[in-house]
Amino acid sequence: MRRYYPLILVSSIYLVLFLIGMDVKGMWQPMALLVFYAALGQAFNIFLGMTGYVDFGYVAFLAMGSYGMAITISNLHDIQWLGWGIVPIGLIAGLVMSALLSTAVGAIALRLRGAYFAIATIGVNEGFRYLIEGARIWGGAEGIIISKALRTAFGADGANYISTFWADAFVYIIAVSTAFVTFFYLNSRIGYALLALREDEDAARVMGINTTRYKIIAFITSASFGGLIGASAWALKLTYVFPADVFEITYAVEAIVIVLLGGTGTLLGPVIGGIIYASLKYWLSVIFPGLQLFILAPIIIVIIVVFPQGFIGLLKTRLKGTRMEGVIV
Amino acid sequence: MNKKSWLITILLAAIAVICLPSMHAVAGDELPKEIVVGGPISMTGKFAKEGQQGFWGFQIAERWVNEVYGGVKIGGKKIPIRYKYYDDESKKESVTSLLERLITVDSVKFLLAPYSSGLTIAGAPIAEKYKALYMSHGGAGDRIFEQGYRYAVQTIGIGSRYQLSALDMVRSIDPNARKVALFFKDDEFSRTVMDGAKEYIKKNGFEIVFERTYPAEAKDMTPALTEMKIKNPDILLAGGHFADGQLLAKQIGDMGIDVKAASILVAPTLPAFIQALGKQANGFLGPSHWEIGARFGIETSKTIGSGYFGPTQEWFINEFRKVSKGTDPEYHAADAIASILVYVKAIETAQSLDTDKVRAAMNRLHFVPFYGEWGIDPDTGKQIKHQMVLIQWQNGEKEIIWPIEAQTAKPCYPVAACPGRK
Repeated sequence: MRRYYPLILVSSIYLVLFLIGMDVKGMWQPMALLVFYAALGQAFNIFLGMTGYVDFGYVAFLAMGSYGMAITISNLHDIQWLGWGIVPIGLIAGLVMSALLSTAVGAIALRLRGAYFAIATIGVNEGFRYLIEGARIWGGAEGIIISKALRTAFGADGANYISTFWADAFVYIIAVSTAFVTFFYLNSRIGYALLALREDEDAARVMGINTTRYKIIAFITSASFGGLIGASAWALKLTYVFPADVFEITYAVEAIVIVLLGGTGTLLGPVIGGIIYASLKYWLSVIFPGLQLFILAPIIIVIIVVFPQGFIGLLKTRLKGTRMEGVIV
Repeated sequence: MNKKSWLITILLAAIAVICLPSMHAVAGDELPKEIVVGGPISMTGKFAKEGQQGFWGFQIAERWVNEVYGGVKIGGKKIPIRYKYYDDESKKESVTSLLERLITVDSVKFLLAPYSSGLTIAGAPIAEKYKALYMSHGGAGDRIFEQGYRYAVQTIGIGSRYQLSALDMVRSIDPNARKVALFFKDDEFSRTVMDGAKEYIKKNGFEIVFERTYPAEAKDMTPALTEMKIKNPDILLAGGHFADGQLLAKQIGDMGIDVKAASILVAPTLPAFIQALGKQANGFLGPSHWEIGARFGIETSKTIGSGYFGPTQEWFINEFRKVSKGTDPEYHAADAIASILVYVKAIETAQSLDTDKVRAAMNRLHFVPFYGEWGIDPDTGKQIKHQMVLIQWQNGEKEIIWPIEAQTAKPCYPVAACPGRK
């Protein structure tokens, strides 16, 4: 049982955020913002944290998830017998589309290392966006708006409820699921192999580890969770998908910041990183509207310089040898 | 008490009985000390420039309503408004969380949607959930208002009408000019504009002789322009955003393409257009929601049979320059101030702060602020009365040439005959 304490801790954090959102007036959306960034960090961490590879094109997987959901809703909304089934179908479509894209990208880009890999992933993100726009796939540059389709399928109140409650609730579920998978990887052959290749890829290969195979596993897993986040937090919640908005590369940069803030390759790191990052963004924008990024940037720089291993790295060092050591993973 | 006194007493009592329910209804609303109006605005991120203009516009609107107009007249009182905002960083996640805060914590029932069609759509479900009115001052996309939202209302003119003023202007001067070329950037906004223009062209006897889109990062348009030149169009409707619009205008000039009228989105409305193109800029047309000098005023309101409401254009421009430390206002600021004027007018018409009653009052509202006509489609909330103004560069000056009631100069037609071009 003690082995699972870290998972209980992560789940409890999400439960607390959920309860605050439900019970405190006006806090549902702010809590959803925190969980979105925590989930983004967690999903991104599965690849970055465990392999050390930086994927600047990660947002393309969220975009694919958004398209999966938007295509499903816009095409199936008038099939009445599907009822609520349309939403899980959309989530599955988002997951499959992002997994397929990651397989294709991974097969090519994962042959590259370091800066070459990072640059290649930027190219994939931008290239895919322009392919959609240029070839007029899925509405091209005009994108897809699904508000009306949601209203047709679920009625005005139902559609609002989905966009303002269930879309966020799905992100909580995805975040917890990501934590479970991360925990499983960290404690399995996959995690050990990935950590070995992160430390020294050539040495890991010499030791007989099929590094390409494990990298692809981490890449597809990370991308799939990204797809699910895009399907719910973007398409279902915001009710539109415009290529210029969903392929915006700043989300990949934010994901990197979150992972570094919390601690790379840890279970708890991205959760704490996401909560710190989103809380600072939200409260600074409330207290100092217009100046929040000006204040946020130096704070983040200071945090990363003072805690190079992230908050969880620091905590692990401090708690070494205590009973809490096994909980902070 | 004599007979006359009795009659007066009965008459007054009857009036009181008739008026009592409505007075009671207003009093029953428990009028607040102030009416909070506000929303997320892009002070940072990719829409920061437009957001800043809007922000100044809202600040000026607040000042006019409270200090000049004296407050919103409701239930026999004058209630001041307060503008409340947060910076959304031009990001969709921030819009939803900040909107919820504005509604639930800051008690804003009269929302101002964020800038851009995407961010406006992102916030619409939150506004619907709380039954808060949601005024779009920066989301021009037609499709926003075709989704079935009840509380979303539009002040900015719809995208599909952007290029109609250019066609109207040409038709009034040269009814024989029929051949139209469409050459637009491939993005959501430009396609909306092109779809609107195509529909209008079909209905009004024009003929499309060339139709093409160009990619967002286009660096050379000469191949497509060469093809277009062969078709010999009378009118060119084109554009997307600033960089591509400027490139397009330059290459049209360099290639000696001799269309009679060329209307380009966004680029010609900005001063940087003449700075970049010099003489070549003269003659080009550009649609805009509002421009300095647009003569929408009391005379316009008489023409359409409705009232004028709001500050004069001169007052607005002076105040804007003060608050912005010398920057000139653009249409983003003008439609921002118009949005708040609509709320004031609608609340006064409804004599209530109930959002359903105010929304119903908006359906009956048709008036003119200095921004131009305002009136919505009752079912969708889509703006249907606001006309785009059409500008033209003449002798290095930006002139408003259409509609006639907003003119600062007569149109020069064809382009080649424009003063200062050679």
